[in-house]
Amino acid sequence: MFIAEKVGKEWTMDQAPQYAIDHVANSKKNIVEFEFLNSLSDKISNFFGISSESLFYIDLGITKHVFLLFFVSLIVVSTIVTLIQGYISHKKNIPNKFMSIIEMFVIYLKDDVLKNFIGDKEYRSWAPLVYTIFFFVLFGNVLGLIPIFDLTGLIGKIGYKADVLGKENILYLLSKGGHTVTANVNVTFAIATITFVAFIAAGIQKYGFVQHWKNLAPSGLPWPLYFVVVPIEFMGLFIRPLALTLRLAGNMMGGHIALIIFITFIFSATAELGGLAGFGIAPFSISLALGLTMLELLVAVIQAYVFALLTAVFIGMAIHVDH
Amino acid sequence: MNPLLTPELGTYVWSLVIFMTVLFVLRKYAWNPLLDFLEEREKDIAESLKMAESAKTDLEKIKDESEKILNEAKKEGKAIVGDSKLRAEESATKILNDAKAKSNEFLDDAKSKIEIEKKRAIKEIKEEVVDLSLELATKVLQRNVKDDDNSKFIKSSLEAVKVDEAKS
Repeated sequence: MFIAEKVGKEWTMDQAPQYAIDHVANSKKNIVEFEFLNSLSDKISNFFGISSESLFYIDLGITKHVFLLFFVSLIVVSTIVTLIQGYISHKKNIPNKFMSIIEMFVIYLKDDVLKNFIGDKEYRSWAPLVYTIFFFVLFGNVLGLIPIFDLTGLIGKIGYKADVLGKENILYLLSKGGHTVTANVNVTFAIATITFVAFIAAGIQKYGFVQHWKNLAPSGLPWPLYFVVVPIEFMGLFIRPLALTLRLAGNMMGGHIALIIFITFIFSATAELGGLAGFGIAPFSISLALGLTMLELLVAVIQAYVFALLTAVFIGMAIHVDH
Repeated sequence: MNPLLTPELGTYVWSLVIFMTVLFVLRKYAWNPLLDFLEEREKDIAESLKMAESAKTDLEKIKDESEKILNEAKKEGKAIVGDSKLRAEESATKILNDAKAKSNEFLDDAKSKIEIEKKRAIKEIKEEVVDLSLELATKVLQRNVKDDDNSKFIKSSLEAVKVDEAKS
């Protein structure tokens, strides 16, 4: 069979894990080249004494995930600002469908999370951070589930010429998966860093620099215990953002890898057992993928909520030391 | 190294920059205005609830008052009606009694008048009878005057009549 032959040539079963990982990972090279960004990367890295071969070389080039970060932030900002400005400029107007959803989240987070954990008075200064984290992560998660850029790749495949989109075209470079920015540990670590800075700043703002660090361990313990408690609390301080980082990235990664693995069942069966087996396994494979996508939608909202919730909890812990 | 866990400091820096920008923009143009708006709306709702509450108590007060007034008016009306009934009854009985008294008076008057008339009539009849008997007597006398017995009888009869007359 034609399809079986074609797939058999391009696909072997042991390719599947690597294929799935590549689908989730960031692109290895920049999808758009900007000369000034490359020189800026060199300058900054030289300033910190990092060679270009080092793993920690600060490459500011526009990789796929950086591009998608811009894309996500553009959509988040335009959607939310448009809806909210439209809503509050007509005071008597009833919110439309999308605004109702946003308002539901905003009011829920305000009453059940912010006021609960941070406090009735203090919540106001931290609310924008928690809201931004929630919606940024939510949009990142959900946009990762919508295969917009895979479709742009498809344009190249079905064109009357195979090279409608050249290998260097930005749409082609975007098409090879990896659309969930929140599955990148660097992105989630950046947001977790902001949470980290926020809860330390909240404590310092409330108690002053010295007292905040004294709050780390409860007072009134027998002094030998401090040799145990202080290191544990100090470690806990850094484990919190790390846990945030890995929880979100892991969840998004895992779901997408599982999704791709389910889909590759079809290719693997076709390559190993022939076209008929591929057709046979397709309904099973696709229904699994469909169910998992539904689950992923749920996970997208839950993980965004958890990230925002934990940010509020950590800030609250720094402000209310007694509990 | 696993591509899923590679540190990409460039992506990290970009994420920080982009997130902070988004935070700044949303804070200024979305979250703070929305929170202000929600707070204002909450305040409005609380205020109107309070107003509704006070209006309710006012209404209740007014209701109570009007009920009180109504009750008083009812009572007063009842009193007025009862009083006037009593008075009407009183005057009715008075009128009735007056009428009765007057009619009795009339009756008595009429009776006494009748009595007088009767007496006069009887007297007149008696006088007539005397006259007639005198006439009769003279006629009889003209024929039998000589008879002593007759004259005696006439004389005594006349006496009797005179006595009767004096009696009545």
